[in-house]
Amino acid sequence: MIEVKAVEKKFGRKKILKGVSFTANKGEITCLIGINGVGKTTILNAIMALTPINKGEILIDGKPLDKHSFEKITFIPDAITMLPQMTIAEAMEFMKDFYTCWNQERATELLGFFRLNQSDRISSLSKGNTAKVNLLLGLALDVDYVLMDEPFSGIDMFSREEIANVFTSHLIENRGVIITTHEVGDIEHLIDKVVLLDNGLVTKEFSAEEARENEGKSVIDVMREVYHR
Amino acid sequence: MKNYLKLVNFEFNRVAKLFVVLLGITLVIQMVGVIVLSKEYLNMANEKIYEDMMTKIEFLENFGKMNFSQIVRSIWFFGPIGLCAAGVGFYIFLIWYRDWVGKNTFIYRLLMLPTTRLNIFYAKITNILILTFGLVAFQLIIMPIEMLVMKGMVPTEFRSDMGLNKIIAVMPELSIIIPRSLIELILYYGAGVLAVAILFTAILMERSFKWKGILVGLLYSAIAVVFMILPLLLQEFVFNGFFYPIELLGIEIVMGVMVLTASVWLSRFLLMKKITV
Amino acid sequence: MNVNFNNRDPVYLQIVRYFKEKIAIGELEPGEEIPSRRELANQMKVNPNTAQRAYKEMEEQGLIYTEKNHPSKITTDQNILGQVRNELLVEAVDVFVTSVRSINVPVEELLDLVRVKYTANDDKEA
Repeated sequence: MIEVKAVEKKFGRKKILKGVSFTANKGEITCLIGINGVGKTTILNAIMALTPINKGEILIDGKPLDKHSFEKITFIPDAITMLPQMTIAEAMEFMKDFYTCWNQERATELLGFFRLNQSDRISSLSKGNTAKVNLLLGLALDVDYVLMDEPFSGIDMFSREEIANVFTSHLIENRGVIITTHEVGDIEHLIDKVVLLDNGLVTKEFSAEEARENEGKSVIDVMREVYHR
Repeated sequence: MKNYLKLVNFEFNRVAKLFVVLLGITLVIQMVGVIVLSKEYLNMANEKIYEDMMTKIEFLENFGKMNFSQIVRSIWFFGPIGLCAAGVGFYIFLIWYRDWVGKNTFIYRLLMLPTTRLNIFYAKITNILILTFGLVAFQLIIMPIEMLVMKGMVPTEFRSDMGLNKIIAVMPELSIIIPRSLIELILYYGAGVLAVAILFTAILMERSFKWKGILVGLLYSAIAVVFMILPLLLQEFVFNGFFYPIELLGIEIVMGVMVLTASVWLSRFLLMKKITV
Repeated sequence: MNVNFNNRDPVYLQIVRYFKEKIAIGELEPGEEIPSRRELANQMKVNPNTAQRAYKEMEEQGLIYTEKNHPSKITTDQNILGQVRNELLVEAVDVFVTSVRSINVPVEELLDLVRVKYTANDDKEA
């Protein structure tokens, strides 16, 4: 379980996170929803110790993050984290070199799944394919938790579909996933849990299916209520 | 350790092109310099002897023999060295900032490697050292070749050959990159590593605290420099030469190790707790 | 297996209903193997947890059964199968009746109209 507890974060004098708390379970897809600039990315960065927090605590399976955690949890930012001059094969080689949890079999499977060409240079890829490589590099790690920052934004419809397919496959099964998005639209049926963020705080944390079952409300209905729009 | 070596290798591959370009520029410019200067000398000799009807002896008395130190002192020779030094100096900053700029922010990957983040620091500082030693070693290799070219162009009676030691003696600036004793080596390169470590710490401060970080970084660098020259100042103005030079050297080395340790410790702290992507 | 889910009903119940419909019209036969949860999640583009929940629900209702280490199968229990058909039929008629009641039409007139429309549709399809 990933526990984010009363996390506060300031940028200069501006408080971006004012005590954010939520949990994300293994085997579930948790979706952080909020408008752009609400601090979704900052939360993911903070979980990975890529940016310091001013207050609060973040635990992964009950422990604070350390260097060994990176074999257990991975982060797929919204831009690819490899050198553009590398080929896909070289990028995979790099990952294999450093991570003992790198699963080459799965990487190969993902290459096929996304119909990517190993010898292509990352800088030469389309936006959609770059996003897929980025996803591949994260998903081919045998980690318990995967964080993804806006995996669906700014790419073409077909790439979106292919990436959405990942979420319904064994590539995600049994892992704990946190994704951020500013539009829940076409992924409503994919997510287990929703964490709504507004104004530096978690305004609501709920199970998508329970909202439908108990209140007959879609995720968007709940969002409308919460944001009064 | 294994991850450190992998990172060193990886970082080196990233700079390999720049490294080769610097080597190429050095070789080409210095070689052209050798040829141009030898040719100039020969042209002058030809002019004096065949047109102004000077005898060989008169010419040598008036203009002297050609030797390699004339080449070493020309811009053809130290120009590329300066360029390489500037290149390395520039790369001290680029080696960090290149990971943050652009769309593909590689710093995410580096900071998420399952290894201590200090290895990133060590790998980068090692690469600066490798670059420096590589350039110096290359210079040492091509110098004899350049001498050979000069020998091939200028006839024996018009030139005086000199060894590397003698060249450094006439051009003491060269001894900074090519130390002649172990102590010089430790001193010059130790100071170099120290300076890079201080700069790296300052860069990490900037990366952690942005504008405020620049101030803190400058302050830290200033304190480190004061700390390093303090024994020298005290020796000069307070103790009036109380210590033997060797003792002073010992003190300086101790101070250097202390500053180095502080820089590494601070960098580790910044990388682990304060850095931001 | 392309299903258009609505966003307000629980997805797992929509899956259950989808299966019931297929059983009622005979597209899924008694004893027929059905996809694994994972396959289903993938085909229907839903979360595997949701697929799991739908299967659990269907097992509880006796619509499917699973023998150890075998894929799940549609029940062969005629009683349950009959119920499914009945349930869907009653449900559909309920909906129809509710909407038609507001027009306030005599039941005889309505039944005649239903007969005409229903057979006309049959002819068209045939």
